[in-house]
Amino acid sequence: MSETLPDTSPEAQRLHRELEAVWGNPTGWRALTVVNHSTLGLRFMATGLVFFLLGGVLAMLVRAQLALPDHDFMSPGIYSQVTTMHGTVMMFLFAIPMLEGLAIYLIPKMIGARDLVCPRLTAFGYWCYLFGGIILFSSLLLEMAPDSGWFMYTPLSSGEYSPGLGSDFWLLGITFVEISALSAGVELTVSILRTRAPGMALHRMPLFAWYILAMALMIVVGFPPLILGSVLLELERATGMPFFAVEGGGDPVLWQHLFWLFGHPEVYIIFLPAAGIVSTLVPVFAGRPIVGYGWVVAAILTTGFISFGLWVHHMFTVGIPQLAQAFFSAASMLVAVPTAIQVFVWLATLWLGRPRMTLPMLWILGFLVIFVCGGLTGVMLALVPFNWQVHDTHFVVAHLHYVLVGGMLFPLLAGLYYWLPLVSGRLPSERLGRLGFWLTFLGFNLTFLIMHVTGLLGMPRRVYTYDAGLGWEPYNLVSSVGGFMMAAGIATVLLDLALHARFGRASPRNPWGADTLEWSLAMPPASYNFASLPRVESRHPLWDNPGLGGEVARGEHALAGAAHGRRELIGSEALTGRVREIIHLPTSSWWPLAAALMLAVVCISLLMRLYPLALAAFTVAVVLLLRWSWENGGHPLAAPMGHDEPADPPLHSRTQDGPGRWTMGVALLADGAFFLSLLFGWFYLWSVSPGWQMPESSPLSLALLLAAGLMLAVALGWLERRLRALGAGEDAGLAAALYGIAALGGLHLLMLMVMLWQAELAPTASAHDAVLLVGLLYVLLHGGLASLLTVLQARRATLGHVSARLPYEPRVVALLWRYQLGSYWILVVAIGLLPRLIGGGP
Amino acid sequence: MGVKPAVLLPLLLVGCTGEHSILDPAGPAARDVAWLWWGMLSAFSLVFLGVVGAWLAAFRRREHPERSASEERRLALRWILGGGILLPGVTILLLLAFGVPAGQRLLPLPLPGGESPRTIEVVGHQWWWEVRYPDEDGEVVTANQLAMPAGEPVDFHVTGGDVIHAFWVPRLGGKIDMLPGRVNRIRLEADEPGVFGAQCAEFCGAQHARMRLHVEAMAPEAFEAWLAARRSPPAQAEGHDAAREAFVEHCARCHRVEGLSDGREGPDLSDIGSRATLGAGVMAMEEGAIARWLAEHQRLKPGNHMPAHDQLDTEALEAIGAWLETLRP
Amino acid sequence: MTVHAAWRKPGHPMQLLLGLTIWSLWFVTLYGGLSVACAVAPPSPDQGALTALNLWLGLLTLVTLGVLLWLARFCLAAVRRESGRAARFIAAVAGGLHLFAASGVAFVGLPLVALPPCL
Repeated sequence: MSETLPDTSPEAQRLHRELEAVWGNPTGWRALTVVNHSTLGLRFMATGLVFFLLGGVLAMLVRAQLALPDHDFMSPGIYSQVTTMHGTVMMFLFAIPMLEGLAIYLIPKMIGARDLVCPRLTAFGYWCYLFGGIILFSSLLLEMAPDSGWFMYTPLSSGEYSPGLGSDFWLLGITFVEISALSAGVELTVSILRTRAPGMALHRMPLFAWYILAMALMIVVGFPPLILGSVLLELERATGMPFFAVEGGGDPVLWQHLFWLFGHPEVYIIFLPAAGIVSTLVPVFAGRPIVGYGWVVAAILTTGFISFGLWVHHMFTVGIPQLAQAFFSAASMLVAVPTAIQVFVWLATLWLGRPRMTLPMLWILGFLVIFVCGGLTGVMLALVPFNWQVHDTHFVVAHLHYVLVGGMLFPLLAGLYYWLPLVSGRLPSERLGRLGFWLTFLGFNLTFLIMHVTGLLGMPRRVYTYDAGLGWEPYNLVSSVGGFMMAAGIATVLLDLALHARFGRASPRNPWGADTLEWSLAMPPASYNFASLPRVESRHPLWDNPGLGGEVARGEHALAGAAHGRRELIGSEALTGRVREIIHLPTSSWWPLAAALMLAVVCISLLMRLYPLALAAFTVAVVLLLRWSWENGGHPLAAPMGHDEPADPPLHSRTQDGPGRWTMGVALLADGAFFLSLLFGWFYLWSVSPGWQMPESSPLSLALLLAAGLMLAVALGWLERRLRALGAGEDAGLAAALYGIAALGGLHLLMLMVMLWQAELAPTASAHDAVLLVGLLYVLLHGGLASLLTVLQARRATLGHVSARLPYEPRVVALLWRYQLGSYWILVVAIGLLPRLIGGGP
Repeated sequence: MGVKPAVLLPLLLVGCTGEHSILDPAGPAARDVAWLWWGMLSAFSLVFLGVVGAWLAAFRRREHPERSASEERRLALRWILGGGILLPGVTILLLLAFGVPAGQRLLPLPLPGGESPRTIEVVGHQWWWEVRYPDEDGEVVTANQLAMPAGEPVDFHVTGGDVIHAFWVPRLGGKIDMLPGRVNRIRLEADEPGVFGAQCAEFCGAQHARMRLHVEAMAPEAFEAWLAARRSPPAQAEGHDAAREAFVEHCARCHRVEGLSDGREGPDLSDIGSRATLGAGVMAMEEGAIARWLAEHQRLKPGNHMPAHDQLDTEALEAIGAWLETLRP
Repeated sequence: MTVHAAWRKPGHPMQLLLGLTIWSLWFVTLYGGLSVACAVAPPSPDQGALTALNLWLGLLTLVTLGVLLWLARFCLAAVRRESGRAARFIAAVAGGLHLFAASGVAFVGLPLVALPPCL
């Protein structure tokens, strides 16, 4: 594909060539090193599409099996694998990565940036997703797929009741894939906050960016509970630590809490970006700005928070006190308010504008019909007595498909048709597109509207068959017919997309008359997006200045050209969008692929229970990741100190607070969510687990616990003093000091290890000891990482990559030290002091 | 969109009835929920039609009056406050006002008179039901069938024997999970004597679909008689000595028959001859059914935890089956 | 107005997260407190909803409600005073969010007056 530049003047052509030389993707087998967000966003979406089709085939198998009573199409065992994998594939391998891919592709273009802040992390995320997805899906081909349901409730998924490899495939594969979600979450957050076009203050940011910001932060906070749950369950399966087994003092309900602590926000993680598509398209096709921008922002933030207070509504039948259920019931209903605000904002925008009915709008209308319906049944389900009746019936299956297909797939397809001309430069066929829509829409409703009745007639979920004579036959048959109709609709849409790539009419520039920056770019966009970075003074830059694309291409705005050979973009203030620094980005690299490959080896060797190999591969992966981090800042392959240094604004590695520090901060937020989930597990088991055994006296030596904590505090104090000196331009003896700090960190670790050795824990016999062990391993791992990174910083100081003029990196590492100090002392209080204060005994 | 009611109506008319139907309540708890459903359905259908209608109308409108910016702002604010705050706000307040009392009726609160209702214990196993009637006159144990008195509240104490199951009699009321290590309580009541379908409602493995429970509500005196008949060992039918011996040799480790064996792994068989179905709802109980089940159970219910009986010939299985059929109080 | 300004100012982006964070903390305390109390010392079901536990949780709810309403007033009153447009926008949205969080506390806390705590 060759881009159609927005401007064909010789100056624009020259700029294009100059930027392309620096930003362009390598070809051939070096295409594996690509870190460009457009390429990776498209790879994410293409891979997501493949998994969507595979998940769809599984859905058709399910509908074929259920079409007739006592149907002998699949054996019960295979059916369980197919339903488990359908849910898993659609949620983890399609919905989340697809929306991440869309965000990765669009966000820099919408906020006026040339790439995301951590390009190598984008690539790493993609490889983790691809490898994890392949590992997970291969289990189905090997006929040893997970079969305990996509929610993996233990004890059904435990070693005793699922002795095969199925659960391991799920736990390890999903955790692997989640690395990619977390990577995307972290870097999208930082990119949106720190790399917006100059002048694009928070209140001028496109709404889509607000939605993605909320999604990214929700991923950061919402995924760690499931990662913790998966780690604990895999430990239980592999070693017998009884976190969820009643006999050892664990509790299977803890798994449900951890799963739904992730699982409910997950629904909104999927819905919010899709709603972001709606909020982007509605004003464009209404031909006027959205009404109530502030209302929408408030609704997004409210949804983001409240969705973390709903998880127990998946567990209303678990036997939780009814007052507690009432809290969650009320909170679940509360989330209807921000949703209703958005629906009526869209409605008011259409009402006050002059709406045009186009193909993307048709999908938006389909979304509205289905999603409002799903939202209303959602409110019904929030009502506890009604929930007790229909929970785990086909009513819920119908509801969740209304919410997820209506709330995610329909807006996604609207967005796909909307942004297609930008990606390909061509227009899809209106006629085929409409046929595809109607087949999908009618097929969907035929399948799932009817399914509400099936559920009300008492048909439970996840049954592989049902008897004739219960009154369920006609409904199931209709649902199956509808399912195949919907599949035909999706096939038509895909046919349309395939034909358009070959025969589509060339699209005019900004074909829909949109207001956001991505439509000012070449079609398809060039690797660097913007030849020069425009200033943004309103929410609708292209409506204010339709000629902006030409100006940008001719280099009339900031940072035109790349004669210095660096990939540069502007770092701006989070609130106001004022220019702060020039961010220089790394170029194509093998490290992400190599590290992800090594993690795949870890994953596979854990599956095959080859633990020494797993440990070796993990060590190699850590080395690769550290090697990757080596090429940063003043390193010769990044941005070595030179004569063409820009001074105002400076390069970010010459400042005290670049985007990497923010990345570390957001990553630690995820880490904190993991740690809090672990603490939750500890207190949960302690207070309500039926078979919990608290030993009479704590096995941990209090003296060593406190001494190790003091050592940590001294190390951090020293580090903070050196950082202040560095900020004041004093870097003499920096390397020695950093080595010293790392040594103190080593002492801290040593004391912890002695204490662990003295404690003689029996983690396979009691959940108490197992949780202690995991908590201590957690702080050991973090302390080890902090010390290791400090050693590397010391080495970099010796080499001159860190100095008074390059003071940035130690400040990033300092965040990890502070985190370690905080989490360590919290852990000391939780597992060391509180049991002594409250007392042991059963 | 006109298609949907047209498709839905005739199907609805086919009936809300059925032995598992939530919409055909046979007890107070289920009736409350059925009313909640019809109320919510009516109210929410209006909301749905209103919202979708307004969207479609926005596209149909031909005239677009010129409005000042402040007029537009006022109009938009009215939409947002009315539809976004007021509508959901009032709806959820109303729902909570109806929902909390309806939920309270399912709580095992002390009865007004101070007496406590009859308790029945149900344990879920992969993939069958153990039902116990604790009683000072001696505990009665049965499997895959549940008899209860009609016209009075009954407290069910449920737990999971292996994995998590869920106890649910749709026509009587809501479901409750059966968790290993915990006992959950739910109060249900049947208005009249009758037979109700029940099926495990929490995914519990490959044969989750084949885990049905035959629930029968009886007049209180009939129920007492039912219980009394099971307190003593079943009468010994004549001429089944060989079958009894084969049973003790091959089946007794897992199955209990009152007065003969004490296996607890599988269902208690003391009154198996009186049950309506076999294999937790896989087949109807009729003459020769047990022998067929013994011979083909791994085909009828693949993966169930009873080993195949390849070491026994057809004759032996038929004899055991014929004897078991006599086990009825 | 820079990012380094005190987060306590009504126009600081942290205000966008503050109200709902308080809501979340209150929610977690409410649920956690109830669960632990029911596990350690459940009041008798005969008492109905009038237990010391309901009272304490209700008190916590009222205090949280008061704090959130005060915060809402604090931000909304500042909308006119703030200088930059960005800060004004933040103050207005944050005020709305505090208000919503307050109504969330009131609504979710409502069942405390009607339901016995540990059944």
